[in-house]
Amino acid sequence: MFAYIVRRLLLMIPTMLGILIINFLVLRMQSPSLVEQAQAGGSGKGGEGVSSERKAGGASKQYANHIDRFRRLGNDLPAVVNLRGFLDKDDVVAWLRRTSPAAGRTDSQRSTAEQDLWLAGHYAVGPLSDVLADPALADLYGPASQAFALCAHTSLVPADQRDPIRVNVVRTRNQVLAQNVIGYRSDRLQGFVTDDSRAEAKRQALLAVYADPANRVDYAASGGQRWRSILFETGFSTFLTRLFTGTLVSESRPNQYVFSIIADHWKLTFCLNILSIALAWGFSIPLGIRSARRLNTLEDRATTNLLFLLWSLPSFFIGTVLLHHFCTDSVKDGVLQPAWFPNAGLSSAGSLWYSTPRYLLDLAWHGALPLLVLSYASFTSLSRYMRGNLLDQFEADYVRTARAKGASEDGIVYRHALRNSLLTMITLGAGLLAELFSGVLIVELIFSIPGLGWLLLDAAKQQDAPLLMGSTVISVGLLLIGILVADILYAVVDPRLRSRYA
Amino acid sequence: MNKVKIALLALVAVLLVVQIIDRSREPAQMRELKQSIDRLNATIAHAPVTLRAAADPVLGSGQPVDDHETPVPPPTLTAPRDGQPKLGMNFLIPVDRSTFHPAWQGGTLRVFNASPKGLNPLTDNSAIKGQVYALCHDSLCDRQAATPEAWSESLAESVIISDDYLTYTFVLRKGVMWQRPILAKQPAYAWLDRDVELTADDFKFAMDMTMDPNVDCPSLRNYYEDFASAEVVDRSTFRMRWKRRVYTSLSASLGLSPIPRHIYGRNADGSEIPGATLGVVFNKHWFDEQNGVVGVGAYRLEEYRNDERMVFQRNPAYWGVPLHFERIEWNLQVKQDDPQLIAFKNGQVHSHGLTPLKYKSEILDHAEKRFIAIDPADAKAGRKGELGWERVKGMSFSYIGWNMRKPPFDDRRVRQAMSHAFPKQRLIDDVFFGLGLPVLSDVLLDSQYCNHDLKPYAFDLERAKALLAEAGWSDGDGDGLLDRMIGGERKPFTFEVKYFANSPEWDNTLAIYRKELQKLGIDMKPVPFEFKELMRIYEDKDFQAVVGGWQMDWDIDYFQLWHSSQVELQGSSNHCGFANKRVDELADKLRLTFTVPERVAIAKEIQAIIHEEQPYTFFRSNVGIFVWQNRPALGQPAPAERYLAGVIKGLDSFHPLVNRTRTFWHFRK
Repeated sequence: MFAYIVRRLLLMIPTMLGILIINFLVLRMQSPSLVEQAQAGGSGKGGEGVSSERKAGGASKQYANHIDRFRRLGNDLPAVVNLRGFLDKDDVVAWLRRTSPAAGRTDSQRSTAEQDLWLAGHYAVGPLSDVLADPALADLYGPASQAFALCAHTSLVPADQRDPIRVNVVRTRNQVLAQNVIGYRSDRLQGFVTDDSRAEAKRQALLAVYADPANRVDYAASGGQRWRSILFETGFSTFLTRLFTGTLVSESRPNQYVFSIIADHWKLTFCLNILSIALAWGFSIPLGIRSARRLNTLEDRATTNLLFLLWSLPSFFIGTVLLHHFCTDSVKDGVLQPAWFPNAGLSSAGSLWYSTPRYLLDLAWHGALPLLVLSYASFTSLSRYMRGNLLDQFEADYVRTARAKGASEDGIVYRHALRNSLLTMITLGAGLLAELFSGVLIVELIFSIPGLGWLLLDAAKQQDAPLLMGSTVISVGLLLIGILVADILYAVVDPRLRSRYA
Repeated sequence: MNKVKIALLALVAVLLVVQIIDRSREPAQMRELKQSIDRLNATIAHAPVTLRAAADPVLGSGQPVDDHETPVPPPTLTAPRDGQPKLGMNFLIPVDRSTFHPAWQGGTLRVFNASPKGLNPLTDNSAIKGQVYALCHDSLCDRQAATPEAWSESLAESVIISDDYLTYTFVLRKGVMWQRPILAKQPAYAWLDRDVELTADDFKFAMDMTMDPNVDCPSLRNYYEDFASAEVVDRSTFRMRWKRRVYTSLSASLGLSPIPRHIYGRNADGSEIPGATLGVVFNKHWFDEQNGVVGVGAYRLEEYRNDERMVFQRNPAYWGVPLHFERIEWNLQVKQDDPQLIAFKNGQVHSHGLTPLKYKSEILDHAEKRFIAIDPADAKAGRKGELGWERVKGMSFSYIGWNMRKPPFDDRRVRQAMSHAFPKQRLIDDVFFGLGLPVLSDVLLDSQYCNHDLKPYAFDLERAKALLAEAGWSDGDGDGLLDRMIGGERKPFTFEVKYFANSPEWDNTLAIYRKELQKLGIDMKPVPFEFKELMRIYEDKDFQAVVGGWQMDWDIDYFQLWHSSQVELQGSSNHCGFANKRVDELADKLRLTFTVPERVAIAKEIQAIIHEEQPYTFFRSNVGIFVWQNRPALGQPAPAERYLAGVIKGLDSFHPLVNRTRTFWHFRK
């Protein structure tokens, strides 16, 4: 049994990694590109809401700031596998040619290729300087100089202020790079056309930056570093490092750690979820047992029909209807009729100063409707499962034997049949742990409860990858643990299965 | 026995839960207590100042103090202090304190708002951050909303423009103090807990940070492309120099806000940051990480609980004309439309905005009896109800853009025919329930720059048919669709309009337009796209017709949208491919012209040319519905802090709705 548990725990690691990699790749595909950010005209991600209006700000030509931002977030590195360490001159030339306007290549494809080149970082600096030094590639000097300037641009971080000498060196170098970008035009017929009278001087200046041995430290990489970079200098490895050192910072709320944001919002969701689970299970199990015992009576049939009716009513509809009817003040004949239930949140304005019993009552008053909307859908499914299971057990021969022995009906149901139907309920319960963590978006939006569901929706809208990945880690982890606990409980509950695990 | 055991267990569990809840509320209670004590201390410390302000006579208009709604006539401005930029003399309008009445002061205003994504004055770009700084901060000069060309005194008492608009010299107001941030109460930040005067150095710091290449504000830096240098002449004199004479230098200089060097130039322990790394640290400053906001304005950010609320407390030491409210609370918790409207009806917020659909159900269909039903004879009937409502003009417009680079929309007559076939007013009436004003150009309708002489393209299918026939489109093969020979092939007139998904208004608009075009023999296919995809379509200019919208601004600049140099530029805003030599000339000239009548003439000519060329079929500028808690039911007393007075005065004195309208608001006593 112990070996089984250990094996399961070890198997969780590759499962988790696989899920995280897939999630990470999907999120990466969604995140805005460098050029999109530059056009959005600001450091804000995405748009403000779904408004169709955009402030008429010009496209920014100052990509260095955007590259700094990408590097700060770790988005400049490729997602899972980093082959930039093996870039050579031919690769870079092919890449540059891919960014030239040609038939069949759309502007957005070109800008994606351009952006990927600019984010290639210090590995591309060597090959680019080879391109700049090669007279046969004179037509590429323009875009190559732009790429060189941006790849060689070294981003400073606040911690650097302790080393003022290096800061000055880097700042001067960045300025030299920015000032020596050769001006060029992309023409659909002629490709890249250099548009700069000082092109030669600028090219020499850029080559001098690379030739300077003091700068080589930042731009050259040893063989070992290149091999290590394949797996250890990737977006995914950055994410894992930050995850395990507890420094995973959210992108949409840059001053907070992901797990502290989640913890803040989880408390409310947890309370709601646990109460709704308790309510759902506490109501459905006895109801299911009762239905099974009174099979096909009027009561059973009426209950079934009523439950299915409830099940077919969508929760957002019920929520909004309840909100409008029970939570809105209305005016009748000029007299104000206050609402029966509150319309937002889980606590009143002055509730901090209520005595604890009054606070609990206030909480119950606020939470009654959200709880109802959350749990009514599960009444049907859980009670029907319970009923079905019990009915299966009633067909079994040990029940016939017990009845023949003269055991009471209550004893049969609660001491024998119920235990055997636990297996299915444990399967259902496997997902409970993960369910505790998931936010229920609909209820949170309708009743304005600042919980986890809303947080994750907002993170998805703003493409806040760290927050989404952090919550994925937690929910997947809880799900896997829940499944393991369910499997162990099977062994505990059913002796027949114990031998299977040994 | 079992039952007793279970009962006991349940009791123990309940007691445990109660204990846990008790313990968890203690720190929050402690925090609240501390905050109220601090607030009381602050009030006591500034009490002498408040009393003095109350004793001052109310300056200005001589109107009776309890007049809530009579609109204020615009003040008469005498030259040279009439706000119009002039060389060599101070032209700023003096501060007008007549709108403030001490008797009306007090109360907490509650409104809804969205969470700001970040609060750094330069690197964060959300509209909410702009609203926070509008409450908490001031700039060198201020603009009157009704006359955006007229600048008034704010932090600058005077400005002298010289050297043909290349040099701006400001004399600052003395004795303006930076607010103390909430952080200052924490022992770790005790070094922040002191009064610091605003000096010219703070403006220099703001310019240094804006121009620092390490600071992450590339779009803001675009406005300062021609900026040369900023200079601190002395403690209260600040000078800005520009390289070229260009109109944008006026708003970029006069609208500058200071940034506190004593906070952003230091580390969290109070040590100074070396000059070279100022910009780098500014991007990820510890003050922003603590959600700090500090300004010199009328309100202080007192509390910011993420996704819950933001609370602004009146700054008793404010130099200028404050609003009448003691506190302003932004509710960040309720985010959906329906719950927000319900909260408004329950009186939990004092003002709100209605979407067209809610306008239809609540006001047109009169679902909420406390609104006055719509009255065709009186546009302002809504002002009299218990819940007041009124139409307010917005500052954005929408359009359908035609790709002028390829057929069929490379011919002006075809584009004009499209505009003739667009039933503008009918769409505004049916799809938007009358909420919208037809526009003919990209300039605000109330602005003096707007060319009102343009002849609208009336909805006239016959005229459209004639224009299309002139352009060579006829039904050659008798299939009911127009066609034409293009490049040797007979091509039918069919095209796609790409628009925003998730927008039922655009769905309906394009469906109605489609029907009209069918009568002409044109097959139009509306295709919805997600926002991101549509941005890519703009970038790739991969459309025949596309739907869009722009924000209108007080400052007119025709460069981004209409200059031909932007046509082939990747990521430019001129995605329709509009290129007209005369417009280029005029747009360049506009950038260099400072006298208003000349500017107006140039702008009107540009609008006339664009109107003739029709690169866009301009649709509507948006009109919203503003609702507020107006008055109690007849015969009922007004509970404290429930109903707003002075709202109508604000609506009549300033339009479109901007923060200035709140100058008159106060609670009915």
